[in-house]
This record gives sequence, C-alpha cells and structure tokens, in this order.
Amino acid sequence: MDYVLHVLVMVALYAILASSFNLLIGYAGLFALSHAAFFGVGAYATAILAAKLGVPFPLPTLAGIAVTAALGIVVALPALRIGGDYLVIVTLALQVVVTATLLNWTGLTGGTDGIRAIPRIELFGARLDTPGSFLPLAVAVAALCFAIAWRLGASPYGRALKAMRENEAAAQAVGKNIVAMKLSVFAIAAALASVAGSLYAHYVSFVSAENFTVELTIYLLAMVILGGTGNLAGSLLGAFILAVLPELLKFVDMPSDVADKLRQMLYGLILILILRWRPQGLLPESASAHHYRAPPERAPVDAPVEAAALEGRGLERHFGGIAAVAGLDLTIEPGRITGLIGPNGAGKTTAFNLLTGFLQPDRGEVLYGGRSLKGVKPHRIVRAGVGRSFQDLKLFTHLTVLENVLVALPRQRGDYLAYVYFAPWIVRAEERRNLARAMAILEFVGLGARAGELASELSYAEEKLLAVARLLATGAQALLFDEPLSGLAPNALAKVFPLFRRLAASGRTLCIIEHNLDVIRELCDRAVFLDEGRKLAEGTPEELMRDPQLSGRYFK
Amino acid sequence: MNGSHYALLGLGFGLVFGTTRITHFAFGPVYALSAYGCWFATALSAPLWLAAAAGIATGALAGVLSYLVVYRPFERDESPALVILIASLGLFIVLENAIGVVFGTDTKVVPAPPSGVLLWGPLVVTGAQLAQVAALAVIALALGLYLTRTRFGKAVLAMSDNPEMARIVGIDTLRVSIAAFALGSAIAAVPACLILVKDGATAHMGFIAVFMAFVAVVVGGIGSLRGAVAGGLALGLVESAGMAKIPTEWQNSIAFVVLFVVLLARPRGLFGGR
Repeated sequence: MDYVLHVLVMVALYAILASSFNLLIGYAGLFALSHAAFFGVGAYATAILAAKLGVPFPLPTLAGIAVTAALGIVVALPALRIGGDYLVIVTLALQVVVTATLLNWTGLTGGTDGIRAIPRIELFGARLDTPGSFLPLAVAVAALCFAIAWRLGASPYGRALKAMRENEAAAQAVGKNIVAMKLSVFAIAAALASVAGSLYAHYVSFVSAENFTVELTIYLLAMVILGGTGNLAGSLLGAFILAVLPELLKFVDMPSDVADKLRQMLYGLILILILRWRPQGLLPESASAHHYRAPPERAPVDAPVEAAALEGRGLERHFGGIAAVAGLDLTIEPGRITGLIGPNGAGKTTAFNLLTGFLQPDRGEVLYGGRSLKGVKPHRIVRAGVGRSFQDLKLFTHLTVLENVLVALPRQRGDYLAYVYFAPWIVRAEERRNLARAMAILEFVGLGARAGELASELSYAEEKLLAVARLLATGAQALLFDEPLSGLAPNALAKVFPLFRRLAASGRTLCIIEHNLDVIRELCDRAVFLDEGRKLAEGTPEELMRDPQLSGRYFK
Repeated sequence: MNGSHYALLGLGFGLVFGTTRITHFAFGPVYALSAYGCWFATALSAPLWLAAAAGIATGALAGVLSYLVVYRPFERDESPALVILIASLGLFIVLENAIGVVFGTDTKVVPAPPSGVLLWGPLVVTGAQLAQVAALAVIALALGLYLTRTRFGKAVLAMSDNPEMARIVGIDTLRVSIAAFALGSAIAAVPACLILVKDGATAHMGFIAVFMAFVAVVVGGIGSLRGAVAGGLALGLVESAGMAKIPTEWQNSIAFVVLFVVLLARPRGLFGGR
C-alpha cells in the first residue's frame, strides 16, 4: 500500500514539473533544456536551508523559489535576442554548470555524497514521514501549482505567449513586449519547478546531484509531448502515465540498474513514437470556442479618430555595402491613402521596417505627429499609434481567427500577471469588452462567421483580411500595409477597396505597398515612387503614371 | 590538447548540423559507441590500428542509421525542426542506455600502447597528445580538400549554404545527408578512440561530447566549419588557461562562461555564420 501511495506522491511532483515545463515549451515556444536544473536548485536550496541551518518549512521553499526564478531570468538573458538553437545550448549549458556545482561545491552541497537527513515537514503537529501522510500535502501543493499554471495559460497573457510562439515579429507588431514575456514565463516556470524540488527534498529526505540530470529533463519532455504541448491537462495525463507505466517493469525480475536503463529507453522510444504518429499528443491543444458570446452593443470600427502625419526624414539604411534605403524623405498624411510603388528591391519593405522600428536607420529619423520615434522598440511604436502588416502576413496560425484579433487589442491589463492573479474580475470585465470589439472588427472585414476557426484554415483572401483585422485591432491610427492586396481576385478586391476607403475617411493615416498600378489608381489619393532606396517622384497616381521615365523604370 | 579534441567534435557535429540542419543530440552516444566499437575490437585482440578503424566504422554506421531510421521519416513529413530536435533527444537517451545495458556501466579501458614522452625544450608532450593534434591537422586538411576539390564535397557545401536551392539545382540531398552523417560521425570517432586509449570509455561520455561540440559550433558561428574548428580550439585554450587557476572538475563550466560571453558579445559567433 505504501508503495502505491509513493507512486502517487511522485505523480503529484511530476505533475508540477510537467505542467510548468509545458508553459515554457508548449505555450511560449521556448525550448529550454534546463528544467531538471531548476528542480535540482529548488531541492538543494531546501536541503541546505532545512538540513544545515534548520530553517523550518515553508521558508526554504520560498527561498528556493526566489533563487530559481532569478536563475531562470539570468539564463534567459543571452537567448533573448536570438531564439531556437541558441536557447537550447544556453539552457543545456546551465544544466551542465548546475550539475558541476552540485558535485563540486562540496562545502555547500555535500559533493558526490549529496545531503542527507533533510528534516521532514511537520504540519498541524503531524510529522509527514510516510508516503500516506505526505500525499495530501503533495496533492494540495500540486493542485495549487497547477491552478497557477492554468490561470496563466487561460489568461490574455497566455494567449500572448502563444502568439509569441507562433511568430515573434508579429507579436511585437501587435504591441507585445516579448522580452518581458520571455523573462516572466521563465521565472514562473523555474519557480514552479523549484517548488516541486523543495517538496521532493523534504519527502525523500536525501538529495544527490544524479537525481537532477538532463535525463530527467528528457523524461519530463516525454510527459509533456505525450500529453500534448499547449494543453496543461495533457501534462497531468502524461505525468500520470509515465510515472505509473515504468513501475510495472518492477514486476519483471531483473537487476535494478538494468531495469532503470530499460525504463529510460522506454521514455526515449515513447518520445520518438509519439512524435512520429501523434505529434499533437494525447490531448491536443484546444481552440477556445467559447469566445462566441460577445455582447451585442458595439462601437463602430470606422468611428472617426485623430490621426497625425507619419514622417521619415533623411532615412538611410545599409546592409553590408548595399544601401537599401538611401536618403528617403517621406510624409504620409492622415485621412488619405498613400501608395508606395516601385520595382522589386526599391526599398519599400525596408522603408516600412524603418518607419515601424523593426530596423533602426543608420541615419535620419522617423516622426509621428512631430514626435521622434528614434530608438523606440516596435511594440512601443505600435502603442504610440503606428502599426504595420507583413507581406508574408505572419498570422498566428494555430490560434483561432478571433484570438488573432483579440491578442492584438491594445492596453490589455490581462497581459500583466499582477492583474491576472490578483484582480481577475478586472481582467474578466475587460475581456468581455474586448470580445465585443474583436467581433466588431471581424464583422467589419467580413470574417465574423469564421471567428471560431483556426487561422490556418482560412483561404488566401481570408488570410489577407485577417491581417487587416489584426492591424486594425492594435488601435494604431497610422496603418502601414505591406502588399495587402497582392494576388487577390477582382471580386475579392471589390470587397476590400471599400474597407480601405472607410478607414481613410475615418481620419486614419494609411499607406500601402502595391505593385498593381490599376489598384493604385483606383484606391490611392497619393503615390510615392521609390527606386534604389530613394523617392523619385510623388503626386497623384495619374501624374506618376503619365511620366514616361518612371514607367520605363518600373517595367525595366 | 583538449582544444584539438573539441575541434574534432565541433567539426563532426558542425558538418551534420550545417548540412542537414538537424540538431543531432544522439551525436553524443554515437561518439560513445565508436569508443565501444574500438574497445570491442581490442577485446577480440585486434591490433590498435585495426581497432581504431573498427571504431570509426562503428561510428559512421551508427550515424547513418540514426539518420535513416529516426530523422529521415520526420524529414519526409516536413516536421518542424523542433520536432526533430526532440526526437534526437529521445534517440540520445535510448542509445545511451542501450550501451549501458549491453556493455555494463564499468569504465572500459584498453592496454595503453607504448607511447614515448617527447621533451621539446621546456615542453613535455606525450604520444597520445601528439596523435590528437596530428589527427586534427590531417582530418581538417583532408576534409577541407574533399569539400572544396571534389564534386560531391561541393554539393555538401552547397547544401549547407542553402538546402532548398541545392535541391532545386538537382543535388541529391538524401545522399549528401547520408554522407554528412557518415563523415561527421567518423570524424568524431577519432577523438573517441583517442580518449578510450587515454582515459577509457563509459556509457555516459556522450553527453559532454555533444555538449562541447554544440558549444564549439555556436561559439564559432553556426554554419561555418572553420568556425567550428576555431571554436573548439578556443574552448580548449581557455580551458587549459583556466586550469592553472581553476580545479579540473570545473572544466565543463568554463565552456559555459565562454558561451555566455560570446553570445552576449557576438551573438552570431566568432565567424559570423548565419
């Protein structure tokens, strides 16, 4: 009986580890291989404080949380600007250093002997020294940790994490501070792992470096993948299956070290097979369809706004020896549609990147409403009122159409953890208003009926509309569209034109990059001709098209 | 001396990674397997040179099998890079433990060959150390010639530059990938055999090997083979320099410091890379 209870305690601990790991991998898309290290640091913090200094529970746990969260932030730092492989290697390096420290800082960690005789937890006068007596505490703490992770995942913050996972540039373009998000999710995931470590230390009353190696991280990874990334309930299931399944191996008669190795081989095999045959896991990430019931009262999307002129002065940007933009002066006036035309490689998209902070100019500056945007980060520029779309759209393809728009809405208090945890009623009320707003925007572009579907299921024309809706949702008054109409059939164009006209009529500052001269003539009030990074001409579309020199350049 | 060890590891890992874009974590256990192949051959009383050849063959075979059995199906399904990376972690743990199950957990050693000690002014150099440096020089040179002078070698370089384009111009990317795995694993087998002679082999030796190889590649700049060699040498140099002040058991942590500093100062690695 004790044996079964012991397995259940371990399931509870693994549930904490797997669900916090899932926040990093599944939600934020941050592939970190340091979860065992966070677990170990938490366990050792407790072991050192409780066994050597006699600090009573739960103080060591809290200290462990602080240390581990700080460690999570430090390790995330060098990987902030560059993701992917770099994050993998940095977190792996952290694992190596933590193992080396646990093994070699003998004075503090006991070296290869580990730390023994960690005091048991005493609660309400009872000493929790058997699996049965420890189980209620383990389950209670696991439930609390799971609730913390769940609340995070289901909040607007969790939605922003998923958007960042889908596309970092697009998340920035809708005003998300991805640096702050990465640091905070790292801190939380590390802290939760540390709680599991602390419980573990008290429970087995002995810690040793070999319990916290990269093999454990792979074990946890198998739980997360088996259960389903991006689905916290899946992590519970994965933790349960992978903690219980290998216990069955114990009934086969073999030396324990061989059994241990076979157990690990089993995890590896499960990992590969599940990726091969069911990569979404047993419980796939669910699209949240309950968002439908938006209240009926909605402000019109094209209500008049106060917009200003967006101005680039003497912009220059070089790549290697090539000047992509070379001394560009450009003013985009509010209340009308300015077309940016020019041959391929003229520097149109680079100009957009400079205007919206995705690139910093080597020389020159950008002003919006007379205010300089020098050195301002893209997510702040969009909050200041200048938003952009991307030529390749960069939709959040694994989020629903509605979520794509919701996540882009400005000034969400649900993006801040303090509100998520300590003022959930404010977040809930805000979310109701945002739902109404998002549905209004989707209906404005004609995607209202597709709200509950994944963005990946849209047709090409619908994807383009969703990109427009997402940009509108940011609340920016100056909207820069990078080829919003290219490749659309005439009947689709006929539907989109009025949208752009209504937005311009509402006072917004619109600029579109477009190759089709008919579209420019039909839609734009002004056109700017760019070539070789310079403005060659500006005027009404008719004026530009009458210029034989320009058409010569355009069709060269 | 450690520098040439890391440089060879980085070269092997970089060849696989640069060409196929697969973060091949099982590179570690494959490296360990090569050492075991060499040990097994000596246990059958093969002479050392033949045993080393057996070790290299074991490595190349295991590398190619990893690719064909595990990675290739994912590639065919156009799985995201992250999925293949996770699968490689799965393969890592399967192979590492399989070695332990088959060969046991004790350290395997071979009778050390007679290796003289050379006195060169104030320097003391052992035979094994000399062999290591010589191996790096020969392999790096041979690989350099192979990649730049032969048609197939150029195909490898082309693919590491742009796999999509390589496919379009008609390069058989499957064959190139197989070759990259064979070559990369064979290159890593050389330091594996040398370490077997020097310190012996264990089932767990692969983790630090793939870690150091990965660090060497990132420090040198992802996508640059020259960078991988330079990164490996730099790691070894910093480590040896640090060894004067820092106890041996901390040497792995030095790699972390190098990595941290390089990533903060030159995020694209010493040699630019991608």
